Amino acid sequence: MEHVYSVMDLLLPFAWAEPFFMKRALLAVLLVAPVCAAMGVMVVNFRMAFFSDAISHSAFTGVALGILLGVDPRFTLIIFGALVGLGIMAIRGRSSLSVDTIIGVFLSFSVALGIVVVSAKKGLTRDLHAYLFGDVFAVSPSELGLMLILAVVCAAFLVVFFNDLFLIGVNERVAKAHGVNVKALQYFYALLLALVVTFTIRVIGLLLVTAMLVVPAATGRNLARSVRTMFWSAILVGSLSGIAGLVTSFYVKGAVGGGTIILIACLLFMISQLYATVRN
Amino acid sequence: MTEEITTTSGGEAAIRIRNLEVELGGTRVLTGVNAAIMKGEITALIGPNGAGKTTLLLAMLGLIHYKGKIDYLTSNGRPMIGYVPQYLDFDRGIPITVMDFLCMWRQRLPVWISHSRVQRRRALEALEWVEAAHVSGRVLGALSGGELQRVLLAMALLDEPEIIFLDEPASAVDRHGEEIFMRLIGRINRERGITILIVSHDISMVTRIARQVICLNRQVLSEGKTAEILNENTLAACFGPDKGLLLHDHHWDGEVHCAQSPDSSPEGRETD
Repeated sequence: MEHVYSVMDLLLPFAWAEPFFMKRALLAVLLVAPVCAAMGVMVVNFRMAFFSDAISHSAFTGVALGILLGVDPRFTLIIFGALVGLGIMAIRGRSSLSVDTIIGVFLSFSVALGIVVVSAKKGLTRDLHAYLFGDVFAVSPSELGLMLILAVVCAAFLVVFFNDLFLIGVNERVAKAHGVNVKALQYFYALLLALVVTFTIRVIGLLLVTAMLVVPAATGRNLARSVRTMFWSAILVGSLSGIAGLVTSFYVKGAVGGGTIILIACLLFMISQLYATVRN
Repeated sequence: MTEEITTTSGGEAAIRIRNLEVELGGTRVLTGVNAAIMKGEITALIGPNGAGKTTLLLAMLGLIHYKGKIDYLTSNGRPMIGYVPQYLDFDRGIPITVMDFLCMWRQRLPVWISHSRVQRRRALEALEWVEAAHVSGRVLGALSGGELQRVLLAMALLDEPEIIFLDEPASAVDRHGEEIFMRLIGRINRERGITILIVSHDISMVTRIARQVICLNRQVLSEGKTAEILNENTLAACFGPDKGLLLHDHHWDGEVHCAQSPDSSPEGRETD
């Protein structure tokens, strides 16, 4: 990490970038924000915000179960999140119920289970606090390593499967007729989205993680007239919000990193909405 | 090896369906379907709502489970099949251009990086075939029903198919759009030799464009040359009590003025 910090010192000769916790926070944001924005393009276009919400809320139960069982909560958080994501996909393919209803059932189940687990053991609420609100300034170098791996996996996925996945979103039947392996890709995407959500919780907190996926992508959609401009606008908005949110929370006393990042992203969204309204 | 099957129509079959059965949700939708799609011809698959027309199409595309046999008797086993759905049910607010959409089908390079030069050229060529090159830069959701159907036809052409399946392609298109679309279908069939199967319950359209017709109502009631098959009796058998309404709605005069000779093109008829 020393080499990375040295490079950052050279590139960012600012007071806010001097502390190590700020350097780690900036790296975390630069890894997580673009990934969330890029994955969010699919979430917004294919109305999957509720899906990511269910996964983020399942993290509450994942963490509680980890603490209760004496296992590292970061591990149970990821496993439980992935299981909820895959569970929704599996039931969706076999049920005549609407996707919203299925997600609603999973969301209720995971939150109810979390409440039962939390109430079963005293003192758990205190441990959950960090996951509810996240703490971008407490990200460790090992967590940064995992975020880097996830970012590389997501980038590879979006290079290889973006076109097919987008076509599935436009029309599933036509994509199938064209030979796209719809089911396999949907499962893969759901699993990856579940992983992105669970990793982002560390930075932004489970209450706001869906915003990190949805808001930059929605802003990009307002600004764009093509897939490419939407994709890059979302990444730009996500990254800018992340950096601006970090810097703001460094200088403004009491401003929490995660919340500030989302507030700035929402401000950019409102400007884009105004632009879209005027343009249309 | 290519098996040549001569049908009752006297031509060579591109697809031969034998004893096809499809069950969906515990209901038998198709039973004992035997039919042939003629090579290089436009064949219309007609029948009332709920007759299983789209189901048969999906079975031929391999998208649903079926019992029985579907033989593709084209050059190399299962041919490349283009598919144009009845309508494209999608979020019209997605900022995807026609060029994005067409390039996505064929290129591995993600469109968020760029359109490949080769695919861009091929997409433009396909759009020119359907007289829609002018919409290449427009957002897909902003197209009219007719323009969207032509873009879907261009998409089907991108695969250089031997066969194209069209599922009620003009159902969401106004009369003028339908005229253009049918003229394009005729031209593609004539100039590129592509076998076309068109699902429809529009008898006036069928008589103008299709040389072959298959009447379906859960099973094949009759099949053969349009001029020989389409008459009051076969329509009554196929459509039942809906027949009167159907004929009235589509201004069918009871006579078949269809593409019965190789010289008669849909293009020619429409410009008359």
